[in-house]
Amino acid sequence: MSELRPILLVEDSPKDLELTLAALEKCQLANTIVTTRDGEDALDYLYSRGAHADRPEGDPAVVLLDLKLPKIDGLEVLEKVKGDARLRHIPIVMLTSSREERDLVRSYELGVNAFVVKPVEFKEFFAAIQDLGVFWAILNEPPPRSRFR
Amino acid sequence: MTPTTSEQDLEACAREPIHRPGHIQPRGAMLVLDLETFSLAGASANAAKWLGPVSADIMKRPEYAGLLEALRTWRSGELAVFEWRGTLAGRPLQGVGHRSGQHIVLEFEAAPTEGMETLEARFPRLRAFAEALPAAGEGSALLDEIARFVREMTGFDRVLVYQFDPDWNGLVEGESGNGRLPSYLGLRFPASDIPAQARQLYTLNRVRIIADVNYAPIPIESFSPHLGPDLDLSLSVLRSVSPVHLEYMRNMGTHASMSISILIDGRLWGLVACHSAEPHSVPLQLRNVCDFAVQLAASEIAARQRSADAAERLAIGRVHGRLMAAMSGTRHWAVELQASGDALLELVKAGGAAIVAPDQALIRIGNSPSEAEITSVVEWLERSGENAVFATDSLVRELPEAEAFAEVASGLLAMPISELHTSWVLWFRPELRKTVRWGGEPHKLVREAGRIHPRKSFAAWQEQVRCEASRWTPAQIDGAANLRNTIVGIVLRRAEEVAQLAEELQRSNRELEAFSYSVSHDLRAPFRHIVGYSELLRERETGLDAKSQHYLDSIAEAARAAGQLVDDLLNFSHIGRTTIQARPVDMNKLVREVRHSLEFRTADRNIDWTVGSLPDGWGDPTLLRQVWFNLIENAIKYTGPREPARIEVGGEKRRDDVRFYVKDNGVGFDMAYKDKLFGVFQRLQRAEDFEGTGIGLALVRRILERHGGSISAQGEVDKGALFEFTLPIKADEASDV
Repeated sequence: MSELRPILLVEDSPKDLELTLAALEKCQLANTIVTTRDGEDALDYLYSRGAHADRPEGDPAVVLLDLKLPKIDGLEVLEKVKGDARLRHIPIVMLTSSREERDLVRSYELGVNAFVVKPVEFKEFFAAIQDLGVFWAILNEPPPRSRFR
Repeated sequence: MTPTTSEQDLEACAREPIHRPGHIQPRGAMLVLDLETFSLAGASANAAKWLGPVSADIMKRPEYAGLLEALRTWRSGELAVFEWRGTLAGRPLQGVGHRSGQHIVLEFEAAPTEGMETLEARFPRLRAFAEALPAAGEGSALLDEIARFVREMTGFDRVLVYQFDPDWNGLVEGESGNGRLPSYLGLRFPASDIPAQARQLYTLNRVRIIADVNYAPIPIESFSPHLGPDLDLSLSVLRSVSPVHLEYMRNMGTHASMSISILIDGRLWGLVACHSAEPHSVPLQLRNVCDFAVQLAASEIAARQRSADAAERLAIGRVHGRLMAAMSGTRHWAVELQASGDALLELVKAGGAAIVAPDQALIRIGNSPSEAEITSVVEWLERSGENAVFATDSLVRELPEAEAFAEVASGLLAMPISELHTSWVLWFRPELRKTVRWGGEPHKLVREAGRIHPRKSFAAWQEQVRCEASRWTPAQIDGAANLRNTIVGIVLRRAEEVAQLAEELQRSNRELEAFSYSVSHDLRAPFRHIVGYSELLRERETGLDAKSQHYLDSIAEAARAAGQLVDDLLNFSHIGRTTIQARPVDMNKLVREVRHSLEFRTADRNIDWTVGSLPDGWGDPTLLRQVWFNLIENAIKYTGPREPARIEVGGEKRRDDVRFYVKDNGVGFDMAYKDKLFGVFQRLQRAEDFEGTGIGLALVRRILERHGGSISAQGEVDKGALFEFTLPIKADEASDV
């Protein structure tokens, strides 16, 4: 376990955002939580450009990416990130309202690391977010920093 | 019935080459010239008597100059027949000529004497005849008129007009006589009296005459190696006739005869036959006048026939229109035709009808044979491979067993509708018993000297005709064919409509499923939010009183339930949309896994399991797991009150499918509600007694349907339930709808 990297949350629905943040808060992770409200914003962050030009250096430990986003949607973000040699190592977990086979297949084709359907039962949702957060932010060994950027 | 002259004899008769007799009648003389050079190729043996000495260069003689000139002119022209009048060897002659192969056949007869009337004098009578024709009454009135005119012109003792029937028997329908010879009016003469090659000849050459039955035939002598005995004399006027024909004439008591063909549309419609008790001759010119008159009459007959045919077709067309309108109703075309049974019979003037259609019971209309009889007729038709309209006026002739129902169905008009299925419309006509008077016993044959001889007696000989109906007219047969086209058109259109409806239905179903899917999808998020926020609120507000807590809990519960419903619906519509990945599935393994996943439910329960060894199923393992899960979960759930609960799982491979079952001793259900069991959101238990959304069984049924299988349930209140489902044995295409 090396230094803590931020968790990037890409979610446009304010309610889902609030609930996800509440769940993450419960995990009491030490990692910073960065939120972006649409695909363009997310890419700007990952590329350290635009509004996020002055963000601290370092890739996020994991990206929790909602499928349905305004401007640039989740699948497009996924495609861009996984298609870029500088970014494709970043773990991406796709979050979605329901399990549509099309989206599932496409996401895995594009190289998503995990695909999670947001359960209706809050306890389960909460547990899922926690598990994700704990796994990717703490347990998982991220790729070494020195090779990239 | 046609006379039963043996086939062989008839054939022998028909083979006699009457067009190449090699002889002429002594009424005149014949010269045969080479078509190119006009040199003499042949001459009748009596030519010298008529024309003077005969030699190869006869045409070069000065006396023949006029004839030669006329011949040259004719040869370079368009006319088929050469006509000439002149004097040769001091004798006034009438000459006719025609081409035969590479030769010109010239025939000379005596020119009429001064005493006979000229054509000019006869013209007014010809004109009167022409004017009388259209005014003549129907049927035989016209034919009597012809007979009268010809007899008046020619002076024969008796003139008959006869019409051929489709079998070539001749019926005498017009007559004019002076009483010296018996009347033959109304008599029928068998087809064998005028054999096929004679009819052929009569179609080519309209007039023939035998002036004296006892003539001595004159041979044609050849003057050139190019002229053999096979000179075709079809168009000759002096042609010698067959000895059989002469014998026939003698037996009939006639010493002279002449006949003129009535041709309509190039076919032999009938004959004008003239007879005399004594030898009698008619000059060429007069024969031509009669021929002309007969052709005028033929036009009139043809015009009347066409007009009658047109009127008939129009009437049939109107009935057809009524039937077409009837068949555009919503019921099956056969049922609609049955409802318009009267019109169907009227279409072809039938006495009865029957309709055979593949998905209908046999329909009988009017006076028709029994069902069994009709079925045997249809079977016979199918065997004979008929695929066009079949018509007969005497079914017995083709199908001897039909005698049994000849009274009601001697005539049959049968119309096949489809080449693929057995579907027919049949019309029947009753037997028309009639007495036919033949001119002499037609079956009477005398065999002598190796060939048949014509009958000796022509006295009327009666025959009862049985098992014959009135003939179907061409218009009626065409009417049947048109009806068939209409039915085929309707059937095709129906099939198209049904196909289109099915397509629309499919599309509608797909749209509905897509709709329910997207709605369910969009509903999940709000329910998730409701549950989430109520949880958060509950955690924050620790100081809430019991009532408030209860209200908050109810909110969360309600949202949870709604979310579950939505999940179930999504699942359900998902089944309709996915493609089934079918393969052999180890059912034992699935059941084990399902039981394992349900362990949390059974941990504190006393359940007595009986799980047999299950055969493999064929289908999608994920979906089949869902089936087992729902059924076993139900069994566990509804045996809740039982101690011990008994759940039995088994299966067996059968001949056409594989069967599985789940049986329990739980609360069961009332069979009266059996049909509701598999409905979407249908529950037979109260919500507080047993949880569930009521979609589980609907899902199971949907999955099984998509696999080409089925499910059924049996139960008894408080005793338990048995759920059985089947899967097809092989990869069934039905699994990918």
